[in-house]
Amino acid sequence: MDAILQIAGLVRRFSGVTALDELSFAVPAGQIVGFLGPNGAGKTTTMRAIFGLTELEAGRVSWRAQPVGPAHRRRFGYMPEERGLYPSMAVADQVSYLGRLHGLSRSAAAEACDRWLTRLDLADRATDKIEALSHGNQQRAQLAAALVHDPELLVLDEPLSGLDPAGIDAIIDVLRERAAAGCCVLLSSHQLDLVEDLCESVVIIDHGRLVSAGSVDELETSGARRLVVRLAGDRDGVWARSLPGVTVSELDRGSVRLLLDDDVDPQAVLAAATSAGPVTHFELVRRRLSEVFREATA
Amino acid sequence: MRTTAAQPAVKLGTAGLVAGREIRERIRGRAFRIATLIGVVAIIAAIVIPTFTSGSKHVQRIGVIGVLSPSVRAQISGAARSAGTPFQFVVRPNRSVADEDLLAGSLDLAVVDSATVLLHKSIGTGDTSTTARLARTVAQILGTDRAAYAAGLTPAQVGALAAARPVPIRGLAPASNHKSVGGAPITGLILVFILLSQYLGWTLVGVMQEKANRVVEVLLATVRPLQLLVGKLLGIGAVVFAQAAVFTAAALIAAEIAGSNVLRSASPAAILSQLVWLVLGYAFYSWLYAAAGSMAERQDQVQTLAIPLTIPMVFGYVVAISAAGSGQASTLLRVLAYLPPTAPFAAPILVALSAMTWWQFVLSIAISVGSTLAVARLAAAVYRRAILRTGRRVRFRELFRSEKVAAHNG
Repeated sequence: MDAILQIAGLVRRFSGVTALDELSFAVPAGQIVGFLGPNGAGKTTTMRAIFGLTELEAGRVSWRAQPVGPAHRRRFGYMPEERGLYPSMAVADQVSYLGRLHGLSRSAAAEACDRWLTRLDLADRATDKIEALSHGNQQRAQLAAALVHDPELLVLDEPLSGLDPAGIDAIIDVLRERAAAGCCVLLSSHQLDLVEDLCESVVIIDHGRLVSAGSVDELETSGARRLVVRLAGDRDGVWARSLPGVTVSELDRGSVRLLLDDDVDPQAVLAAATSAGPVTHFELVRRRLSEVFREATA
Repeated sequence: MRTTAAQPAVKLGTAGLVAGREIRERIRGRAFRIATLIGVVAIIAAIVIPTFTSGSKHVQRIGVIGVLSPSVRAQISGAARSAGTPFQFVVRPNRSVADEDLLAGSLDLAVVDSATVLLHKSIGTGDTSTTARLARTVAQILGTDRAAYAAGLTPAQVGALAAARPVPIRGLAPASNHKSVGGAPITGLILVFILLSQYLGWTLVGVMQEKANRVVEVLLATVRPLQLLVGKLLGIGAVVFAQAAVFTAAALIAAEIAGSNVLRSASPAAILSQLVWLVLGYAFYSWLYAAAGSMAERQDQVQTLAIPLTIPMVFGYVVAISAAGSGQASTLLRVLAYLPPTAPFAAPILVALSAMTWWQFVLSIAISVGSTLAVARLAAAVYRRAILRTGRRVRFRELFRSEKVAAHNG
């Protein structure tokens, strides 16, 4: 699918610290893209750059091959990491107000507000002040504010942090629905297992530079092969530590996760395991996203 | 999914949307409602209570030295009754006793040998106090009597009576060069100071809070900084003038119903001047307070930033209210009337003292408008650069170091 959001050569420095260092990547339409990186990698600065909220030394943000301007941003939705709503304003008033700022008429904003508050299970809190809501409900209200104008691009900075499982499920459902409707979704998160389930592709940055990007499938099937082996009664995987070309990456409740060099035959590993004890589990597995992330940012 | 850009009409109305939210949220606030209610009650009380308490009028004591004919006494009694002024004649043996009583305040005025009306202090042309009015009436009656006596009461001399001139009114002490501005301009000045202090505080804290709770990041993702700033200032400004209008209406209605003459001392020009300067004062200071608010994230930071902005306001107010009290248009007051930070307080008092010509008034306004435009330009630049800088208080010198390029929103 063609990329419709293009980040090209962004450079941003803060008092001598380089936050973005020639950062470039693209986001296709109709996809949920995970935007990953360690703390301080430059994720929030990049997201703010999309909305013109930070000054850039160099680089360009394009939407459908055009430099992003105020008219485009009216059709974008943004949920910043540090949530931003008026604490003493009623939920519905706030969501409608942001809809109007995005160009909706009064009636359209009111209708969209009702629809999204109902969709996010906030209809019965519509007249409550934001400050009276729980953290999870404030998060939902913030998402409603980002969605009220049915944006073409949705940029969400840590939208899942601090939510209970029900809240996470509700937001994931909405994001999948929006992507299916053609919305381009870029979200950052440190919950890599959720990103792995939710996102079709990821962009990983570190120190303001792109370190890895691609579909989750591609990234997980690339890199060193992995084996998960379990022996009855074995707790520490000592049998595998002396195998040439094999690295123990993880021990988990009796299962040992192994990285194989290119020239290692998995059958040889199976033979070594069998000679060490009864093998109860032997599986060639994909890289997990957390492994992709750690290896990319090591 | 919508694929077209927002309509131009929406773009033009963005500042209006921001202003509308500001107005709605401010008016809904309990603090605003309580402040407005207290203000209205205080204004009504200030107008009505003096009217009611004036029912127990002071009895004017008129000292009589020498002869005062029954016909003159009768004329004075009639005139005082028709004016609703209670009085009594008090005989004094000689001039020196009368002087002492006048100085001590036990006499309000004295008639000396039917030829002179004596007061503690001379009265100015603008003095409308009861004693002043009574003194003028007594003087007129004495003058008429003298004219009638001199004319021998023939019909031909009746005409001379109509043209009788009051006898001289002399004071024991020289008249001071006092020119009272009356209660209305002083009340107006206090009101302008209170309104500006309150609403500029709203602007300062409102901008700071939007920055502190990060709402501004969501807003500026779709609204330009200038649109947000202008909308905010217009919204708060509209609330200021709505509240000022409510106070003015309450004052006028209360004065009309209670029959008070408190507001009669204010000329239409003085009232108009006060309103014009309320607008100009808010316009000038609101930009500065908004810029200061954008540089802070905490209450203690805004207080530090507000101090240098508050000093000229307080200085202008103190000088103006002192001038209003003394009735003196000092050189300092005249200078301050041309300086935009102090003109909103000094200029209306100069107008109330009739010490400002129309071209001086226009010149002062022109200077203020020009300065406001320059200040707005600077403040908008500060706001644009500072509002998204979080983590610590922004220093002024940091804001203009280097202008970055590319994806900036402004």
